[in-house]
Amino acid sequence: MLGERISFRRGPMVDMPLLLGVVAILTLGLVNLYSATSVYIDDNSRARLADIYVSQIYWIVVGALFAILVAAIDYRHFERIAPVLYVGGMVSLGLVFILGRDIRGSSRWIQLGSFAFQPSEFMKILLILMIAKFIHNDSRTEPRSLLDLAPAAALTIFPVAAVMAQPDLGTSLIYALTVFSMLAMMRVRVLSVVTLIGSAAVSLPLAWMYVMRDYQKHRITSFLNPEADKTGTGWHALQSQTAIGNGQLTGEGFMQGTQNQFGFLPEQYSDFPFAVFSEDWGFVGTVVLIGLYGFVCIWAIHIASQAKDRFGAALAVGVGAMLFWHAVFNIGMAAGVLPVVGITLPLFSYGGSSVVTMLIGLGLLMNVSMRR
Amino acid sequence: MSFLVQRSDVGEFRQRYRWLVLVAVVAFGILIGRLAQLQLVEGDVHRAQARRNIVRERSLATTRGVIRDAYGRVLAANRPSYAVHITPSVIDMETTWPRVLKVVSLDEFERAALEKKIQEIKALPKDDKRRGQQILLKVDVDRDVVAFLETHERELDGVEVTPSPVRYYPYGELGAHAVGYMREVDAEALEHLDDRGYRAGDHIGAVGIERRWESYLRGQRGWRKIVRGLSHRENTAEVEAKYLEEPRRLEPVPGRDISLTIDIDLVASVERGMRGQLAGAVVVVDVRTGRILAAVSKPSFDPNVVSGGNGVKAVRDAFRRLNADPLKPTLDKTISAAYPPGSTYKPFTALAALADRLTDPDREVDCHGGYEYGKRFFRCTGVHRKVNLHSAIVQSCNTYFYELGSRVSIDRLAAIGLDFGFGVKTGIGVNPEARGRMPTRSWYTRRYKEAFRGGFTLLSAIGQGATTVTVLQLALSYAALANGGTLYQPQVVRSIETSDGTVVQDFPPRVRRMVELDQDHLAMVKNALTGVVNERGGTAYKERIAGVDMAGKSGTAQVSHVTPRGVDPDKVWYFNRDHAWFAGYSPAKAPEIAVVVIIEHGGGGGKNAAPVAFRVVRDWDKMKEKRLAVPAPSPPAKHGNP
Repeated sequence: MLGERISFRRGPMVDMPLLLGVVAILTLGLVNLYSATSVYIDDNSRARLADIYVSQIYWIVVGALFAILVAAIDYRHFERIAPVLYVGGMVSLGLVFILGRDIRGSSRWIQLGSFAFQPSEFMKILLILMIAKFIHNDSRTEPRSLLDLAPAAALTIFPVAAVMAQPDLGTSLIYALTVFSMLAMMRVRVLSVVTLIGSAAVSLPLAWMYVMRDYQKHRITSFLNPEADKTGTGWHALQSQTAIGNGQLTGEGFMQGTQNQFGFLPEQYSDFPFAVFSEDWGFVGTVVLIGLYGFVCIWAIHIASQAKDRFGAALAVGVGAMLFWHAVFNIGMAAGVLPVVGITLPLFSYGGSSVVTMLIGLGLLMNVSMRR
Repeated sequence: MSFLVQRSDVGEFRQRYRWLVLVAVVAFGILIGRLAQLQLVEGDVHRAQARRNIVRERSLATTRGVIRDAYGRVLAANRPSYAVHITPSVIDMETTWPRVLKVVSLDEFERAALEKKIQEIKALPKDDKRRGQQILLKVDVDRDVVAFLETHERELDGVEVTPSPVRYYPYGELGAHAVGYMREVDAEALEHLDDRGYRAGDHIGAVGIERRWESYLRGQRGWRKIVRGLSHRENTAEVEAKYLEEPRRLEPVPGRDISLTIDIDLVASVERGMRGQLAGAVVVVDVRTGRILAAVSKPSFDPNVVSGGNGVKAVRDAFRRLNADPLKPTLDKTISAAYPPGSTYKPFTALAALADRLTDPDREVDCHGGYEYGKRFFRCTGVHRKVNLHSAIVQSCNTYFYELGSRVSIDRLAAIGLDFGFGVKTGIGVNPEARGRMPTRSWYTRRYKEAFRGGFTLLSAIGQGATTVTVLQLALSYAALANGGTLYQPQVVRSIETSDGTVVQDFPPRVRRMVELDQDHLAMVKNALTGVVNERGGTAYKERIAGVDMAGKSGTAQVSHVTPRGVDPDKVWYFNRDHAWFAGYSPAKAPEIAVVVIIEHGGGGGKNAAPVAFRVVRDWDKMKEKRLAVPAPSPPAKHGNP
């Protein structure tokens, strides 16, 4: 029975294009992280930051082990335990409020021994699994009404609300967009879509007035008018655009970007690694990187189209969507076309929880690919 | 296997994959488009901004020009000192500011005020011009603080150490009014001086030569570019070569040096002569050129203190004291104040009467101690009995001149005054000039409701009434008497030089006007002026010093009995005393210098003012003898004396 459960009988054992794409992004990400934090090498007070690429390697190894693990177990097992995982995830999100560590005005972390982890990151995968299960179970072919989608909406609302309360606008946005992308796979009545759009139009101003925190609103307003706030968030956005533009066609060269080297990109290893990369490698580099993200996202859709069941397809789309929205939002905010909401660049930004989450997601994607 | 999901219908998704791919392609396509815009289309703009971010301009201080006297002695120079400026829009309040505070000691109030100011400027909108402004952190910082800040200048972004030399006046109070002093540029002035490159903490000439010749003395600041935040790197030079565009340095231009016509030794001699007097003024002018050899206004002040040499607090204290002093130490009494000339004006009345043939020099007037005119009796200083023109001047008989005043029209008196340069500004261009007043009939008509009275002319004839002159005007007019009628433009700046001594501009003497005079009449008047000092009965005869060859006229100007504001009633008697004048030239036969002395509320002119003039002339003679061995730098031949 074990032999059947861990089954590698059909097709190629490993999805080589996916693996190569991910390894390429990881490699560029590490190289870039080194460049991004090299600015701290001789800075006595922040020299620790110059070494975070080493911890990033550890996290990649950990993430890769998790990825192999989740790839090895037939993904259909996850369909079965998805509700358990989902509830577990929600519990850990709840724990954040009790045990959370306050970093820069929001508590997102739980301290476990010597390292901290971010439940909201792992929740992304758990939510994808849960929604994939919902899609899997709702296999009717006629268009659905909004009421039919209500359970999915409810499943999403809880983590979104919990994360908003931390407060973490970026992550809740990722939850919502990922779920939306997955649900977009299903046929929905035209009237329902119209209703949805209408209610969104109503609820956004309400959210602005009653839900969003001042600093979140500030980020949006400073995005709309970055010049007005030259020292805060808007300043980061402007400096990031200057860094990207400074890259020109071929870039300033590895570890040569002045915007980063002279400290104009304060969150360069978490929020703005793309700016560092663009400045070092120029337009040529950014096209290659976006090409890689684009390839992995489209490859995820390809895997979904090859999946043998609705769960696998939805799971593949979910992971692809998660990756897609992260990449689009992070690059978009670095390039000044989207507000700065603190969304990481997958496999580029420093952060254990983020890297491990991404790699687990990609492991699941590999899983689906291997079992089509 | 039943617990695992079975193959289910995925057909529903089929048509959606294409759309998902399309969304992904479009989204990434838009991003690439945006990147192309940033990196390819606007790349140059962003690179320029990136360079601006890392490059800072540090200013290189210039040195203010030195002011010298006629013999090259330094009257104003510079003492090294350093100021710290910060650029609020650039400075990092979390890292840089605490480090700066650690080395630059500020008290709690200063710190709070500065922090408030910094936050204010940081809060200004980006396009506000004031955003780029620098504010002064501290002046006169210690050497070791300077050393620290300079070593770490590349880490301490927005902090700048600027050498701001403090002005130093070796002769202190001597000639302080003419040379002037400096003041710190205040915030208000800074707003319109900003374009000319002044910054907070800079000093600007406040009065005197320092002010009028500010643009020459000042020089121009230079700058050099540095790459900020580099100190922890080894290859500073390499990095700077890579990022800094040429030119990387602009050398400062030192200010021009200025040589004055003033002889500081003579000023010192005047100062000695004026010892024991509370207030007054002396001008010594070269009758052959119109050059000012000495200008002294008493009481004086120490320009070192008021220029900030002893700190800002000392400046405030000094001005509080100076402004409260009823003797007005800050007023340049040689130029900025006008006094009734009294009897020193009599030679001009005499010349007017002689020119118009209204009197015969030998005609005698009998002085009974005054002159009856209309219903009024105009008093004389004494009873002179029979006096002619010569003895009237020598003894300073008012009666004689009242009588002349009844013959001459007031407009004629004003006209000759204007001829000799009274009633108009001389254009010396050092300090604000008083014009003085030569009253005319129309002036009186405008000034007083009642009809013009002949008595006004009588008062004008003896230099009283509404007539006022400045000490400088009187000196120039006596110089004109001495040299035969050439009224010179007064000159205090002799030449302008570069810091290495090359003469850039040399100012020749300039004649303002040749006064039309009958030389016989002039000779008569000058003969009388010689008599004032040298004839028994002359008003300055008793005070004469053996060996001093001088001609001149004393004057005792009545003061209108109006108590100046803020004067202690016990001291009013002083302010009601007459001004003592003496105006003359030396030597009497071949005049070289004209000397005018006024002692405010000094009493009689012959007794009090004349001795000062005599002593100055005596010292001048001594100095001249000494210089015969080492000849003074004579003016270039082309500007030869007339």
